[in-house]
Amino acid sequence: MTFLTSRARSVNVKHTQVTIYSMGGEISSEQAVRGAIQTYSKRVWRFGLALSGASDVADDLLQSTCLRALERHHQVTSHDRLDSWLMTICRSIWLNEVRSRSVRKAQALSVTPEAELISHDSDSETNIFAAEVFTQVMQLPEAQRETVMLVFVEGYSYREAAAMLDVPIGTIMSRLSNARQKLKTVMQHDAASAVRRSGK
Amino acid sequence: MKFSDETLTAYLEGNVDEAEANAIETAVAADPELEARLMALDPFAQVVQAVFENVPAEAPQVDLPEPQSAVPVHHSGSPWRLVAVAASVAVLAVSATFWSTRPEPLGWAEQAAIYQSLYVPDTIASLDNSAQALDTQFELAEAELGRSLNRDTLEALPGMELKRAQVLSFNGKPLIQVVFADEQGQPFAFCIIRQGEGAPSKDVNLAELSGLATATWSEGGYGYMLIGSSPQTPLQGQLDILTTSFAS
Repeated sequence: MTFLTSRARSVNVKHTQVTIYSMGGEISSEQAVRGAIQTYSKRVWRFGLALSGASDVADDLLQSTCLRALERHHQVTSHDRLDSWLMTICRSIWLNEVRSRSVRKAQALSVTPEAELISHDSDSETNIFAAEVFTQVMQLPEAQRETVMLVFVEGYSYREAAAMLDVPIGTIMSRLSNARQKLKTVMQHDAASAVRRSGK
Repeated sequence: MKFSDETLTAYLEGNVDEAEANAIETAVAADPELEARLMALDPFAQVVQAVFENVPAEAPQVDLPEPQSAVPVHHSGSPWRLVAVAASVAVLAVSATFWSTRPEPLGWAEQAAIYQSLYVPDTIASLDNSAQALDTQFELAEAELGRSLNRDTLEALPGMELKRAQVLSFNGKPLIQVVFADEQGQPFAFCIIRQGEGAPSKDVNLAELSGLATATWSEGGYGYMLIGSSPQTPLQGQLDILTTSFAS
């Protein structure tokens, strides 16, 4: 069996990539890329939002990312980890093609996050807190924001995020520490108001 | 260097001095296990994740060109191709399902069960289990694991044909999967993970994971697991033999 070769690779916690075989003649790379686009579109969109701070730019980034990925499906040699491949393409399009013309707009928008992005459930206090956290995250400097998105929201490990952002793992950790310092304010405020409420 | 959960939590809350923060960051860079512990303790990650996980609420629209009509089929007619497609689809489905529900980080036993749940009789039917092939696999696996796999016992398990010993890893720890075919050719697995000295011992726990009957226990710094091919696979016979054979 030459085309059924055990890969014996690690079973990764967060992304549940349980890859078993590397096979010739399995689904085509184009099919794999299309499948990945379908599976990860929300994740890529969120990353686009974190990078740009604006949902219309996130729409465009997702669209461009998917088209670029399809054009490059021939480059795909392994069908696992297509998620981080898509994220890397998204970031590269942002840095090289979109950022310079979007950045002024994004700065303006990031101050007032788009209210419709926050889910509206019945508990308004939960909503207010969620909106505060959302605002705080979107107001972080871009490097912290993209790191928070990859690690806190998408669950990539520090070393995976370091590889995707092409920085040392220590940089990832210090960005997260700085981000936590800023998020601490809103969380402590929330904890304090929860205590006040329960004291009533 | 060992860090307590209290120290790691203090780090995450910004309550350690710079020297200690540096020590933790340096240690994490070299130690994926410590990294996983630290990440699991992070209270900020959970809150931020909860806020963003439903953003956007609906899957965003993507306009893609139509697929190219002729999809190359290199191995048409090969049953392996069907297994391959099924496995790929299953992997996607498993990823999507787990992603959308975002459970707590899975333990090694859950992960091993997910992996095993993708096995079908065809997965193991044509494995080369000649003595020579098994010699090589066991040598490698035992070296990774740092202990004997009691091959004589495994080869003598009643009703089981030893098929393969495979080296995997979980969070940087060696995880060995020994796979058997039962009398109906159904896959059956015995897994061992090295958890390290001081890992707590645990009594046998029977559970259905990923639709498979499983038994797990830990002893002497190793975790053990039996995985059947369905929720009803009886495990007790093998369990009696293996808990005795692998008792430290």
